[in-house]
Amino acid sequence: MSETPLIQIRNLTKFYGAKQVLKNLSLDIYPGQVIGYIGPNGAGKSTTVKILTGLIPDFTGEVIVDGINMADDPQSIKKLFGYVPENAEIYDVLTPMEYLDFIGKLYGMDSNTLQERAGKLLAAFGLANNVNDRMDTFSKGMKQKVLLIAGIIHNPKIIILDEPLSGLDANAVIMVKELIIRLSKEGKTIFYCSHMMDVVEKVSDRIMLINKGEVIADGTFESLKQNHSDTLERIFSKLTGSEDSGSEADAIINALD
Amino acid sequence: MDKIYLRFVKLLNPVLSRAGVDTDQLYEILRIKLIIDQRRPKTMFAQRQNNKKKVQSPWFVSFFTVLMGTFFGLTLFLNAMPYVAQTIYFSVFMVLMSLTLISDFTTVLIDTRDQFIILPRPVNDRTIAVSRILHISIYVLRLALLQGLPGLVMIGFIDGIAAVPIFFIQILEVTFMSIFLVNIVYLVLMKFVSPQKFKDIINYIQIVFSILIFGSYYLLPRLINVTLLEHISILSHWYSYVLPPVWIAAFNELLFHHERANIITSLLAITGLVVPLIGLWLVAKVLAPGFNRRLSIIATSDGLASTPATVKTERKSGLMDKIADLVAPDPVENAGFRITWKLATRSREFKMKVYPAFGYIPIYFLYFTLNGKGQSLAERWDSLKASHNYIVLAYLCTFLLMAALSNVAMSDKYKSAWVYYTTPIGEPGKILSGMYKAILVIFYIPYCLFWGAVIVGIWGPAAINDVLLAMLFGIIYGILMALFLIKGLPFSKPVMIKQSGGRIVTTLMTMIFLVGIGIGHYFLMRWETVIWIAIIPAFFITWIMLYYYKKTTWEGLEMADDL
Repeated sequence: MSETPLIQIRNLTKFYGAKQVLKNLSLDIYPGQVIGYIGPNGAGKSTTVKILTGLIPDFTGEVIVDGINMADDPQSIKKLFGYVPENAEIYDVLTPMEYLDFIGKLYGMDSNTLQERAGKLLAAFGLANNVNDRMDTFSKGMKQKVLLIAGIIHNPKIIILDEPLSGLDANAVIMVKELIIRLSKEGKTIFYCSHMMDVVEKVSDRIMLINKGEVIADGTFESLKQNHSDTLERIFSKLTGSEDSGSEADAIINALD
Repeated sequence: MDKIYLRFVKLLNPVLSRAGVDTDQLYEILRIKLIIDQRRPKTMFAQRQNNKKKVQSPWFVSFFTVLMGTFFGLTLFLNAMPYVAQTIYFSVFMVLMSLTLISDFTTVLIDTRDQFIILPRPVNDRTIAVSRILHISIYVLRLALLQGLPGLVMIGFIDGIAAVPIFFIQILEVTFMSIFLVNIVYLVLMKFVSPQKFKDIINYIQIVFSILIFGSYYLLPRLINVTLLEHISILSHWYSYVLPPVWIAAFNELLFHHERANIITSLLAITGLVVPLIGLWLVAKVLAPGFNRRLSIIATSDGLASTPATVKTERKSGLMDKIADLVAPDPVENAGFRITWKLATRSREFKMKVYPAFGYIPIYFLYFTLNGKGQSLAERWDSLKASHNYIVLAYLCTFLLMAALSNVAMSDKYKSAWVYYTTPIGEPGKILSGMYKAILVIFYIPYCLFWGAVIVGIWGPAAINDVLLAMLFGIIYGILMALFLIKGLPFSKPVMIKQSGGRIVTTLMTMIFLVGIGIGHYFLMRWETVIWIAIIPAFFITWIMLYYYKKTTWEGLEMADDL
């Protein structure tokens, strides 16, 4: 890890109205890493992702990706990213092929390469028979697969996954986990946001826990274990303040009486 | 059709790329947006069609637009006063265009998915902005051409072939003017209301729009006396000078009927040429930037999670709570009452389908009763007042009950109804009776009382008993209908695709029953006491029927197959 960081975030601060969601957040991400980005609801995870992907253009602080400053040239940075959004937004009156064709062309891909690659990817994800069906008939898992494909179709350097496993069946989950590990071996940098601690634990090289807009733990799973607790779930609850989950459960039981 | 527009946009490529637009991306975005438009059901005509999966072909919508254009294009033939004719024509044109823009295009403008699909890709702001402007322009021009096509042909017959290009310019002017107006409406709305409210207001505009179309279709031929119209002199009123359609019509007056034109007409015609262009410039330069900013706020309003959409607890709901507990004391029934009350008053889908009935009823009433050939409007009104036809209005209120009942069991989000099936409800009839009472208390009874008050105001207190009796019969009819036709818990079924033949027969039977009752009522009206006495058995029948409705079992219910 002697190289220069691929993503540098310096003193990132963001307000929604009077509410501060990110407090001087700074982090360095090196090429080929799989970052597990975790935190409780409302910790600022989504905001970080939205700033990285250019969805929120007004923030204070510095974001530098591959030597390019977000403030100067967001378009060049967006080219490096593949993004799988959390809320499964998709133009569902289109077919997967039409949708992927559209997305690929926004990245300036050549039409023939695009068609071929989209076809192969759809087949690999088990959607070969649905290539020309409209997505409004798709199940949640099928849409999620199309979104995953749309996130990697242009062979990006950095892949941002926001809860990529939602709606997928067990087989697809195993496949995506394997895919993440393989992509990182190929040298891709992966930024993985999730609430599923067991998955994060397995796929991440490095885990970052944020709470109330600040990084409160950062390191490999092994190093976090030494300092805190034995599973990621426990570490999470210990560090984000609801360690006494036993007493919360007590309160719930008592309320039923 | 869309290919032609896209090819036309390609012609602009050199200019656009010099302005910093990525033309390949622009082409792709426009192409995809046009495909999405084509596959999207049009809200304007969608209400009549229940089948959601089957989208009307764009040809049907185009045909309908041309038909509307022909319909109001006929006003151009008011030969005696071409100026008035054109003013009316362009007024209708403008109103229709603005309303279509607001009701049909809002969903396109506020496509929040763009935020997640296009924005994270390497597309620059200028490309996105230009794609939006071009998308709107294509939509608007298509609409303008379809709507104006019949007029273009007709004006050729009226004023000669030379009038056609002039008319084309007039159509463009009136289109620009509509865009300007709609933009102002949007900006004002966005400035003063929250995104959630904004969508609600657009929803209400759509409802008003459908009532307006319905009303003009039924009533205008009755209310407007064509011979009278031809003698109106538009310019005799000062306020006509500020109406944009007058300016635009003046253009034709000046060029083709210059023997009548004077200096004022020339001034108006010049205003008509200049103001829309200034408007367009204002939209592009001043309004559009703020517009896009506000739009993106609407789109990212989920980011403003710090201000959650709290449901206002008004004083009125305190009263409603008391009413709910009073009319539906049983807990299960109370649940049915409250869920219906809250979902019906909050779901856009339900409002879209039921609220227009509020406006249709008086329109139907006037349509049925204001006839009488060769009489003036005042004479017809007098004969209406002298008659006992108010009874028609009292019975027409049932139409609202019908509209509410036939939609209350259906919802797009019918899957949420799983709660009824997983909770141990022994007598689903209680939910149903709660639902029915809610519809009565929220919609039917207040509406009847409102028109009842109007009737009593016009026809005098002798009408009170008639209104009450009609209302009770309406409630009985509603239960009959609910018993035989609804068979579903509130908001628990997918929007129905087709009514089966048996249902249509039942609907007809219950309708005939109600009409029969109404006619009987009409003949008994001369004996005031008979009506008063009839109210008593009617009340008991209502009560007994409600009692039995409450006994509906699970066997008597239909549910969605794919919960």
